[in-house]
Amino acid sequence: MKYIKHKPSANDFLIWFLILVLLVGVPVLSGYYPDNEVLGLPLAVLILLGFFLFNLIVRRNPNFKGYLTSKYNILTSKNRSEHESDIPIDLMFDKIKEVLEQSSFKLSYADKSKKELMATTGMSWTSWGENIYINFDTVEGKTRMHFCSTTFFQVTSWGRNDRNIEGLIQEIEESLTI
Amino acid sequence: MLAKRKMKLKELSEKVGVSVVNLSILKQGKVKAVRFSTLEAICKTLDCQPGDLLEYVEASD
Repeated sequence: MKYIKHKPSANDFLIWFLILVLLVGVPVLSGYYPDNEVLGLPLAVLILLGFFLFNLIVRRNPNFKGYLTSKYNILTSKNRSEHESDIPIDLMFDKIKEVLEQSSFKLSYADKSKKELMATTGMSWTSWGENIYINFDTVEGKTRMHFCSTTFFQVTSWGRNDRNIEGLIQEIEESLTI
Repeated sequence: MLAKRKMKLKELSEKVGVSVVNLSILKQGKVKAVRFSTLEAICKTLDCQPGDLLEYVEASD
């Protein structure tokens, strides 16, 4: 497979800094801050539980692809990469589907007519899990694959988006030795 | 060779233990490498020699 291009994610720390400024700086400067009695432990647990359930139910739904992969969505961290192969598009689709089924990624959605694949990763201490979207098209007789790894709630993936794409590409390359 | 043996790709896949997708890619000559064990299993199943399966074609750039 030939590497075409890779778009690194935005500067994670800059985004974190901006959010911190918005969350802390704006209320402090405006003189408004929520009542401390309201922000108790139960509320924090409820919010976390809500995130957890929302994540479990919604993340594997392919209808959220547009929202999660949109370049205007600054609430999620995304990494994109493009690769090219001589293998025909239908065969490459089946190949990557097979690789995903045998890998640590969980294949959540596959549509051969639209040439779309979606896989998810599990949750960890640093991530709610990421979604990996793969689209296929043909450019000058070659199959071009568009990979996009995105977080669900986080503005930074702590490098997991990069590792997801690199790991998947490596697994595809290795699977081409039969 | 498959046609000579009147064997389908799926049947060969089951006998050799290599997926249909991989065999299809191999048939098109697009695999990165072939293990000797895979080649041996295919030759054994099809009762042929590696030379019956492989052919050198000069790449056109």
